[in-house]
Amino acid sequence: MPFAAAVAASHAPNILLEPGAEWDEFMMLHYRMAPQAGSTKPSLEAQQKLRRDAEKAYAALRADLEAARPDVLIVVANDQFVNFAHNNIPTFFVTLADEVKGQFTRHRFHYRNHKELGIAILRAGIDAGIDFSFGEYIELQHTQTVPLHFLLPEPKIPILPIYVNTWVDPIPTPRRCYRVGELIRQVADGWKERVAILATGGLSHFPGSPRIGEIDTTFDHKLLEILREGKGRSLADYSVEEICKSGDSEFLNWMVAIGTVGDARAKETFYMPDDVATGWGFVSWKI
Amino acid sequence: MSSYHLNRFLFDLKMDDEALRRAAGDLDRALGRYELTAEEKQAIKQGDPRRLRQLGAHGMLALYILRLNPEFERNIYWSQK
Repeated sequence: MPFAAAVAASHAPNILLEPGAEWDEFMMLHYRMAPQAGSTKPSLEAQQKLRRDAEKAYAALRADLEAARPDVLIVVANDQFVNFAHNNIPTFFVTLADEVKGQFTRHRFHYRNHKELGIAILRAGIDAGIDFSFGEYIELQHTQTVPLHFLLPEPKIPILPIYVNTWVDPIPTPRRCYRVGELIRQVADGWKERVAILATGGLSHFPGSPRIGEIDTTFDHKLLEILREGKGRSLADYSVEEICKSGDSEFLNWMVAIGTVGDARAKETFYMPDDVATGWGFVSWKI
Repeated sequence: MSSYHLNRFLFDLKMDDEALRRAAGDLDRALGRYELTAEEKQAIKQGDPRRLRQLGAHGMLALYILRLNPEFERNIYWSQK
């Protein structure tokens, strides 16, 4: 069946926190790590506007996803010390569970997992020289649930979480992530159902670092411009150092989605820095 | 030098409610279950995530030391992962 759709979206927790008390309480933790980050804290009105703008961006992506009528949604995200600890950090991981669950504050998530597609991707990877790790249990976390809350709030179709290590050095290159995306596209094109992909994360932010609060908006705008121009393939030329110095390591998740679309032009992009941690970015591609 | 046990302790504070309860109840005894240096143990007791990061803890695990800080005991941060 033809490949259905590709989108990418930030998964910043504060997108799904209620503006005001919830947001401020949550951010107190980060301010303890980097006290200067609190100096740019948005007002309640600014937080509310950010939330409305993010909802509009997610709504545009959701409309494109629903119009494509996918039968399964691959979700490419990074684990943040929920499923993997320092005894075993997989570079790429495919979920072979029957179902997957998670919780984000009061929100609960429960989806069927498309194990059969996961096995097909694993097998195709082994044949092509990409040896994914795999496992039969994962717990969803904000890296998946924040976007899913807005994009697939009802579990109408199964998902397939695929993990990329974007957080624990050494992390993979943009080129390798792009190659993984190409492999996924190859499997999807030959699949019996319509496959869509969602990549999450980013854009610029420095979580858990003394630099938290810095957002390289110039670099983020450049990435989105390249996607609008339909030159996504060129992003595989970036080095790990280049994307990390701008706080964009989670863009590696996006590189997998970019590998599925190649030089297709981004149909829509949205960008809103939250002024306290993260440049929120969103994109939907023309397939 | 590996920071595995420091990161493991912090990971357990995040993911293992029983480990959190043990650490909150008797930190010295809880730390005995990990192979930590004297410097790491001291930093854990000080409870400063920035110091833990300097000693090799991943920054986003270092934050979980604040689960032992009464000021943050009921913070909404812990209700998501």
